[in-house]
Amino acid sequence: MDTLSELQSLFREVFQLDDLVITRGTTAHDIEAWDSLIHVTLMMEVETRFGIRFTTAEIAYLKSVGDLVDLIAKKRPA
Amino acid sequence: MSHPLYDRLMSCFREKFPQNLRGITDAEAVQPGRLQPHVEEFLTWAVAAYGESIIETAAEAFVGFTTDVNIAQVRYEKEGQYRCHTYAEVYETHYSKAEEMHGYLWGIYLSNWLWAHHADLSYFYLDRFVRPIAAGSHFVEIAPGHGGWGILAMHRVPGATIEGYDISPLSIEIASRLARGAGLEGRARYEERDALSLSSLVPESADACVCSFVLEHLEEPEAIFRAVAHILRPGKTAFITGALTAAQVDHIFEFKKESELVLMAEKYGLRVTETLSANPARQLPKARFVPRSMALIVRK
Repeated sequence: MDTLSELQSLFREVFQLDDLVITRGTTAHDIEAWDSLIHVTLMMEVETRFGIRFTTAEIAYLKSVGDLVDLIAKKRPA
Repeated sequence: MSHPLYDRLMSCFREKFPQNLRGITDAEAVQPGRLQPHVEEFLTWAVAAYGESIIETAAEAFVGFTTDVNIAQVRYEKEGQYRCHTYAEVYETHYSKAEEMHGYLWGIYLSNWLWAHHADLSYFYLDRFVRPIAAGSHFVEIAPGHGGWGILAMHRVPGATIEGYDISPLSIEIASRLARGAGLEGRARYEERDALSLSSLVPESADACVCSFVLEHLEEPEAIFRAVAHILRPGKTAFITGALTAAQVDHIFEFKKESELVLMAEKYGLRVTETLSANPARQLPKARFVPRSMALIVRK
């Protein structure tokens, strides 16, 4: 499963939206419930799921799903 | 009425931090139409003191601060207690780092308005505490941090003066510059001094006292109520706030009930005349802790 597909299932769990479809271009503008608190919850779930850690700045400045995919690729062990 | 600095701040959030916009929309909805002029006023002082780049700096600081608070709250939900328990721990991990504290103070500065429940407290401060205070009154602010609360009062009470005491040299620098930026030359004075040593100040020398979001940063928050009782003239009022079951990287004292703050005030002979406890509109699903911010108006 590629990272975007893994994220799709995680996004559906966190936002509790079974039919949510994300793309690299998806941002908080596109998902009504995506606020700063859910953002942190989401990023901490990503940390657990992918076995990585983010800094506060990485969490705060992340803008889109595409940015998240790239950040995971950078952090994930090869 | 136009609010160019507020609009610029919002543009920054829209472009760079869209996940923070919804909380700000909540803050705008607390009292529709009232938030923008207050934020514009805060930004005007900041720009006068630090130049226009402070708007982007403050926006980034606010997002970093809010993120840190949210991370701390998620961890608190899992761990059931605050992470730091002594001032020494917090000093080592945060207060001793000047760059981090700079962002922290600007983040708090904006959170006074951009967090909905803090906007609620700010209106309470202005409407219920500041408004009845007589012209020419002398304020003492305990641990003013950025200084915004006291400066706000100075802009509403004609001829009032303020002295602020804070242990942090950075706070003294920022509060002093902001006060000058707000046109308070000669009316505001800030001094580096531990809030726990205020019993050496002249007793009953203040007509009004402000101490906002300090209690939870102390190992013994009772000391603040003791200091307020010492400084305040009989019959005069103080505005004191605290955070309850609200984790933050530098929160030490875990207040769980509103009555704990009321009892501390009463222990030092302060009569609690009004209170407001507010919580964020957005909370973690199935949260066991409801973070609250509480304000007390007390009379000596």
